[in-house]
Amino acid sequence: MKLQLVKFGTTLISRELGSEAFRAFQPTMRELSENEELEIDFSGVLTLSPSWADEFLTPLLNQLNDKLILLPSDNLSVHATLKILQEANKKEFRIKL
Amino acid sequence: MEEKLLTITEAAEILGVSLDTLRRWDKSGKLVAIRKEGGTHRYYREKDLEIFSSDLMSFASEWIQSGVEFPAPFYCATSSIFNARLTKMEHLLMQKPGFEKLYSLIVLVTGEIGDNSFAHNLGKWPDTPGIFFGYNIDERKIVLADRGLGILETLRKVRPELEDHVSAVKVAFTEFISGRAPEKRGNGLKLVREVITDGPIDLFYTSGDAEVRMKGSDKVFQVTRGQHTVRGCLAKIEF
Repeated sequence: MKLQLVKFGTTLISRELGSEAFRAFQPTMRELSENEELEIDFSGVLTLSPSWADEFLTPLLNQLNDKLILLPSDNLSVHATLKILQEANKKEFRIKL
Repeated sequence: MEEKLLTITEAAEILGVSLDTLRRWDKSGKLVAIRKEGGTHRYYREKDLEIFSSDLMSFASEWIQSGVEFPAPFYCATSSIFNARLTKMEHLLMQKPGFEKLYSLIVLVTGEIGDNSFAHNLGKWPDTPGIFFGYNIDERKIVLADRGLGILETLRKVRPELEDHVSAVKVAFTEFISGRAPEKRGNGLKLVREVITDGPIDLFYTSGDAEVRMKGSDKVFQVTRGQHTVRGCLAKIEF
């Protein structure tokens, strides 16, 4: 399954909205079959902050582990945010090259 | 051609303050009105209002220190108002030549600092809720401020041993707070520090009497004790 993150907005900043997005995505998560991977596509996202991502990507990583795959992005805020989340959580994301 | 003068009502609408505030500012000399020869009515030049509104740091620091009123367009009472105004700033930045990629880091830094104010003061604002958020893309500066609890009081809930503002601000910018409950504090300011250190963005940040100044090409993160003690937090971002 592929998730276009831009469906949650182009400017993903606040902790509050990140947590709301995670809750909103849970029913869709149930459609994911047992060994299916979830790909996150950052296209169209203008700014991603660590607060938003910590409420959305961190719990997804904890739920799915290596079945969570991040698609490559050339956005500077996406790079910076993923780097700090990996450092904070001491857990690497699988990033598709 | 004679410049068109604005009436006090028009000026109040532009600045988003009351007529009484404008009269008070006129008396105190903060924003002096013009009077036509022999008249008593107050008038304002549009240009003067623009210059007055451009002094973002004065508005922000006077507000957090003494609660002095500032033009309403800079006030974000809630996080959703802040987000909407931040998105507008993002669009303006994206159109600025040379900022086609860098805009996202400036928005990230601004968003984290602003969101921090809301996240850590929700339901705990000592008096006025919300933040000051002003920016001038041409002058390449952004100012944010809040009259919240400040970093020390917020962090003491998870680190009771913290003794002063300087050590609290240092922790906020450098450490991942483990076991974040009950205070959900993330990694935002750590990333702000990293982005500022590596990128062409300068930061002045103060909370209590602690100050962070990161400026120029060879930036080093350091927290020092300043001469003033401020309520909440104040940040100036330059790029």
